[in-house]
Amino acid sequence: MRLPSLLRRTPFRLTLLFLALFAAAASAILGYVYVASASEARARAEAAVRSELQTLTGVYRERGADALNRALVDRLLTDSPFLYLLMDEEGQVVTGSLNASPITDYAGGEQWITYAFTDTDAEGRVTRPQARGVQVRLGSGEMLFVARSMGDTEAYLSRLTQALWAAMGIVLLLGLAGGILVSRNIERSMGRLNRVVAAVRDGDLKARAPTRAPGDEFDELGQGLNVMLDRLESSMASIRHAGDAIAHDLRSPLTRMRARLEVALLDAEAGRIDGVDALQVALDEADSLLKTFNTVLAIARLQAAAGAGRTPDPTLFDAAELAADMAELYEPASEDKGLEFSAEIERGLMIEANRPFLAQALANIIDNAIKYTPTGGAVMLRARRRSSGEIEFSVTDTGPGVPEGDRERVIQRFVRLDNSRSEPGSGLGLSLVGAVMEAHGGRIQLDEGPGAYGGFGPGLRVALVLPPAASA
Amino acid sequence: MRILVVEDDADAATAMVRGLTEAGHEATHAVDGAFGLLEAQKGGYDVYVVDRMMPRLDGIGMVETLRKDGDQTPVLFLSALGEVEDRVTGLNAGADDYLVKPYAFSELIARVEALARRRETGSVATMLKVGDLEMNLIARTVHRAGQEIDLQPREFQLLEFLMRHAGQSVTRTMLLEKVWEYHFDPQTNVIDVHISRLRAKIDKGFDKAMLQTVRGAGYRLEA
Repeated sequence: MRLPSLLRRTPFRLTLLFLALFAAAASAILGYVYVASASEARARAEAAVRSELQTLTGVYRERGADALNRALVDRLLTDSPFLYLLMDEEGQVVTGSLNASPITDYAGGEQWITYAFTDTDAEGRVTRPQARGVQVRLGSGEMLFVARSMGDTEAYLSRLTQALWAAMGIVLLLGLAGGILVSRNIERSMGRLNRVVAAVRDGDLKARAPTRAPGDEFDELGQGLNVMLDRLESSMASIRHAGDAIAHDLRSPLTRMRARLEVALLDAEAGRIDGVDALQVALDEADSLLKTFNTVLAIARLQAAAGAGRTPDPTLFDAAELAADMAELYEPASEDKGLEFSAEIERGLMIEANRPFLAQALANIIDNAIKYTPTGGAVMLRARRRSSGEIEFSVTDTGPGVPEGDRERVIQRFVRLDNSRSEPGSGLGLSLVGAVMEAHGGRIQLDEGPGAYGGFGPGLRVALVLPPAASA
Repeated sequence: MRILVVEDDADAATAMVRGLTEAGHEATHAVDGAFGLLEAQKGGYDVYVVDRMMPRLDGIGMVETLRKDGDQTPVLFLSALGEVEDRVTGLNAGADDYLVKPYAFSELIARVEALARRRETGSVATMLKVGDLEMNLIARTVHRAGQEIDLQPREFQLLEFLMRHAGQSVTRTMLLEKVWEYHFDPQTNVIDVHISRLRAKIDKGFDKAMLQTVRGAGYRLEA
């Protein structure tokens, strides 16, 4: 990774930002410590000088100039941390460790000064430490200068500064190295994910991000990505499958339409029907083909929705009302056929579903029951809440029923049992009902009806079981 | 009736204009939403028939613009999309009715005429009268030639719809949509059975049959 590309990486840029903040904070602290220590050292030196000056002026006051001179000599012989200079009225040196007072413009009274003086350290090197000193005029006009070195503090401060600079350097180096490492690490993790995204973009839906079991957030992201891709792949597959199925499914009604048109053409040619009738036949066939096509499409959409685990456009409504409406809609048709129609509907069956599709499903099973039950039979619609809380619609008839072995099969597309071929229908009714149930997380159950009696039966009971509305 | 057909499919538009003309209407064609908008702004149309998917300005955009400009002319949306959400989006945009392609021509004519009629009879009537058939909407009673006819609530609604569209063809799908308020395909013609029951009540014992079957289309109530 070259530096310019490194600079574009978020983690590395964050590292640099934090390092800069750290350096600024460290400099501020250092500055504060320096200033505070320096003023503290000055105050300490000044206090020491003041106390020493008091002692010496005390000696002078009580015992005179000679005594002071002796005291100074004594002090100069010992290793005193103070610097002394005693001058006569003209400023000529009497005693002291200095050649001249650093105060060149002495105007009398107590005058303070901070200055650098030349010294040698333990190893004999020449240093120029700072000192704080004061000059006073004594009773008979002599001048006394006392100072104290602040060299200790200075040495301490310079060691501190050095240490801090060194520490800062190490931190910067380590931080930089850490930033590069973190950046590279994240780059690697992101790279894995980016490669998957790029592969998918280029059309490879099978690409998956490698993940570790107890992984970090990148593994979580990778897992999320993989789940998303799994879903996408399966819904793509189901769409492809639906497309194939539609093409396949439409061949048989088209073949039928062609055959009927051919017959109509023959009839028209032979003068058995006229051209208008032939066209009407063609139009009716086209309409029924379109209806079939729409149903196949609806089934495919519902199955795609079910595959994605969602209901298309659900609304919250009372299923009891829907059942009552359907009963009301189909009752006259049922009675016209000479069937006894009854409905038992519990009240307040709140459900979250696609209302038109559910109405269609219910209509289809009622329609089937009426279609296949011979005159004199009975059709019963029930809507109730099961003890499990599920909503169940059931339609029971006294028709011939469906043999147990065929019950799974009749739900498949275009499956029509032999004894139903004489009735009009596309063979899609129950498939659509099945798809509607699938898209609602529900199921369709086919059972035997009330049993055989007097030429009727054994009948069929079709139940649609749906989960109740979450809020109900 | 003047009808503006806004449709980008030339074949479909030609067939539609021809069919509407044959049905005795004056139809003008615009090739997309932008042209449709210009044509509509000239005024004088009774119904707009608007395709949903069009280049430049689509049906939704066109109808929204019209409604924003205060044009309340009824709109029938045509769409190849039949899902519930599309119907809702279309109606929310300001369309008055929605027809999914492919449709039977009789269905289109019936809906266009129903839309135009609705505009004419926008006033709140308490009595409906078609020939010697009278409906009191307040008392919810029906009389034919002074003789009271006893109707079930749904039969009453069905007759009310037919009376409001007297003289026009109404299709079975329209009846299921407008009277029962369901949008689905009842496999067998359950609507026919309801109509024949209603017919038995209002026409039986009278000389003239008012409730007529229109071949290939649906039903019509004639005075």
